[in-house]
Amino acid sequence: MLNFILARLLSAFGVILGVVLLVFLLIHLVPGDPIEVMLGESASAVDKTLLRHSLGLDKSLSEQFIQFLYGLSHFDFGMSLHSKKPIATLIAQRIMPTVELTLAALFVACLLAFPLGIMAALNKDKYPDGLAMGVSLIGVSIPNFLMGPLLILLFSVALGWFPVSGRSGLASLVLPALTLGSALAAILSRMIRASLLEVLNEDYIRTAKAKGLSKTRIIAVHALRNALLPVITLIGLQIGALLAGAVITEMVFSWPGLGQLTIESIQKRDYPVVQVCILLISTTYVVINTLTDIAYGLLDPRIRLSE
Amino acid sequence: MVLIRIITLGTVLILSACSDNAEPQFKSLETTSAVSQPIRFALVSAPVTLSPLYATDATSVRINRLLYQRLVDFAVDGHPIPSLASWQRINLRHYRFTLKLDEYAQLPRFHHNKELTAQDVKASYQAVLDKKNASPHRKSLAHIERMDVLDKRTIDFYLSRDDALFPAFLVIGIMPKDLLKTHHPFNTQPVGSGDFVFSQWPFEGQLFLRRRSDKQLFEFLKVKDPTLRVLKLLRGEVDIVQNNLPPEHIQFLQKRAEDKTNPLLFLTKKGANYSYLGFNLQDKDTGSLLLRQAIAYALDRDKIIRYALGNAAQKAEGFFPEYHWLGSALMPYDFQQKKAIALMHQLGYSEKKRLSLSYKTSSDPFRIRIASIIQSQLKAVFIDVDIRSYDWGTFYGDIKKGHFQMYSLTWVGINTPDIFRYVFHSDSIPPTGANRGRLLNASIDQLIEQAEQEQDMAHYVQNYQRLQKKIQQVLPYVSLWYEDNIAFLRRDIIGYEVSANGNYDALHFVSRQTATH
Repeated sequence: MLNFILARLLSAFGVILGVVLLVFLLIHLVPGDPIEVMLGESASAVDKTLLRHSLGLDKSLSEQFIQFLYGLSHFDFGMSLHSKKPIATLIAQRIMPTVELTLAALFVACLLAFPLGIMAALNKDKYPDGLAMGVSLIGVSIPNFLMGPLLILLFSVALGWFPVSGRSGLASLVLPALTLGSALAAILSRMIRASLLEVLNEDYIRTAKAKGLSKTRIIAVHALRNALLPVITLIGLQIGALLAGAVITEMVFSWPGLGQLTIESIQKRDYPVVQVCILLISTTYVVINTLTDIAYGLLDPRIRLSE
Repeated sequence: MVLIRIITLGTVLILSACSDNAEPQFKSLETTSAVSQPIRFALVSAPVTLSPLYATDATSVRINRLLYQRLVDFAVDGHPIPSLASWQRINLRHYRFTLKLDEYAQLPRFHHNKELTAQDVKASYQAVLDKKNASPHRKSLAHIERMDVLDKRTIDFYLSRDDALFPAFLVIGIMPKDLLKTHHPFNTQPVGSGDFVFSQWPFEGQLFLRRRSDKQLFEFLKVKDPTLRVLKLLRGEVDIVQNNLPPEHIQFLQKRAEDKTNPLLFLTKKGANYSYLGFNLQDKDTGSLLLRQAIAYALDRDKIIRYALGNAAQKAEGFFPEYHWLGSALMPYDFQQKKAIALMHQLGYSEKKRLSLSYKTSSDPFRIRIASIIQSQLKAVFIDVDIRSYDWGTFYGDIKKGHFQMYSLTWVGINTPDIFRYVFHSDSIPPTGANRGRLLNASIDQLIEQAEQEQDMAHYVQNYQRLQKKIQQVLPYVSLWYEDNIAFLRRDIIGYEVSANGNYDALHFVSRQTATH
């Protein structure tokens, strides 16, 4: 078992290192000079050279990469080229809004998906099933950049219930969370429906019915509990996707999160910030996937043996 | 059960996270905790830095003007005028600046209550000139040879060359010497002597300043998307929106503002930001004067201004509008399609033999729309324009490298005539300067040098006017327009005025009218 966990951790480390290298190379291939963006054209060539030197941008790519890795190993993310603030500070400012948004989106997704999925499963091939699956199809089909403005027009402009954009309290979280969570809700509701339908045909459900238990008790205690296992796995895996999907939602709603910071830093050619942001998002993905793999391995010996 | 626990935990986390939203991340120098509803100003981009040493982007410069005072400022016509200090020219290379006193015969005070003296002025300019600081403003002040502080109020500047317009460059915000010595992080914790004190900067897109005189709080909120800015204004989530709105948004808001019962007010002022078409003069096509003239005559700027800019711009013929002290009545290139066609015929082009040109622009939707209109207008004179839009970094990089035939950009905040050397002198090809079109013209170089050497102000102006006429003949740029500065505000905000250069200076006088019953 220890070997299995070590192999998984090693492979995760390799993936993260690969991502770091790829991001580092790609961001340096993009045209545009951060020094020009920082100092503008009016600065003298001497000042540009001095600044390039002081930021270590005159070193070779390999040297810069090694320096970046060395910094990472000491949890020193470096300074933003643009704002001259420590990247750790920038990340600390932005990570909480993104976590807030992700958790809220997850909450919204569960809130929508469970009633829809259960309603669809209990009314298989009937009108409510079609309605629930139709709604989930719409949810998964409308992209965030369209869903966001539509929700703003309806709930902010027409009804005046929520703020248009920004992060100013709980009310401002509702629309971004609804936008981000709607696609996940659609996927989850389909999964819940399929999983519940499978469980409802099991022998123990038939036994429960024979014992004369109420329908609500059978669904809530016996069926749903067992149907939830694959759903929870899916939720875990989707957290990474929510983090990545938050980029667009954050831009639409001017939500000051990690996604917005990443996009702005790309536009400003703020290489170190982009690297750290992407590293953070991809590490979250890798960590969640690795933990899922390890959990599967712990729960199912066949996976360990096949490895 | 696990899921319920996760959801509950999530809710608790979200609620707790949302509640600490306004916690200050940086230590504030405020001494008061006066509670007032902030006046909220929507920004397109957040300030990059709050340090006068590094502020170059428009938002940083404008916010810095509120936080710091400077020795010199500019009048509406672009003349340098005394701000913190008056000056006299002792000789060609020696200026004396004397700090002004307030109505109580006292020197201004910094936000940390220290007196602003000539020593602080010297320390601030020394910081700019210090190579280690790599300030982008160093180049324009590099001819300061020495500074001598005579007393608390007086400082002498000695220059390494004659410069009749030297005071116009002393616009750097003055920082306190004691904090400069300790390498205080002015970029995040500014300490100036302006009427606005730094309050909080919770994250890049949200900045709070407090006005010293009445403790009124101001919130500067970045809302990049113009539609969101408009919606937030309509819903009262922001109080002031200034510039950077597409014409349809302007017209939509204007109609609402005309209705006196609507809570919106519209303000406008002629602007001085200069938009132009630039050409690569080393290119075999755009290097031809006849072609550039044909393009200039083929553009119907009146129509573009009326329909695409919603009449919110004035036609331009050169860098400076005519009301500017260096402005000159230049030969206009008005729309004359027949003349443009004749010039194209002269170059050998016709309906059968058309010319293809590439036109680079940023990915801003409004700039792409303007490019499409220009494309359509040039089509009538046998020019097929291939529009290529890029993200800002790529576009800007290409322009500086000379990888273009034609592009459009806007010069913002031009006040001083050194722009001519910077943009048109053959020594100013990037990376040295901004001669992006690679103009190599000996007579323009000579006129620039002559104009710079002139010390008599009357001749100085004449020389620059002569230079502008020559540039208009050579036509390295086709001038487009000066976009007006516009602002929409909630009607309960009183005292705001739009400035010609788009600064936020009127925030000194703004207040919120409280409802009376």
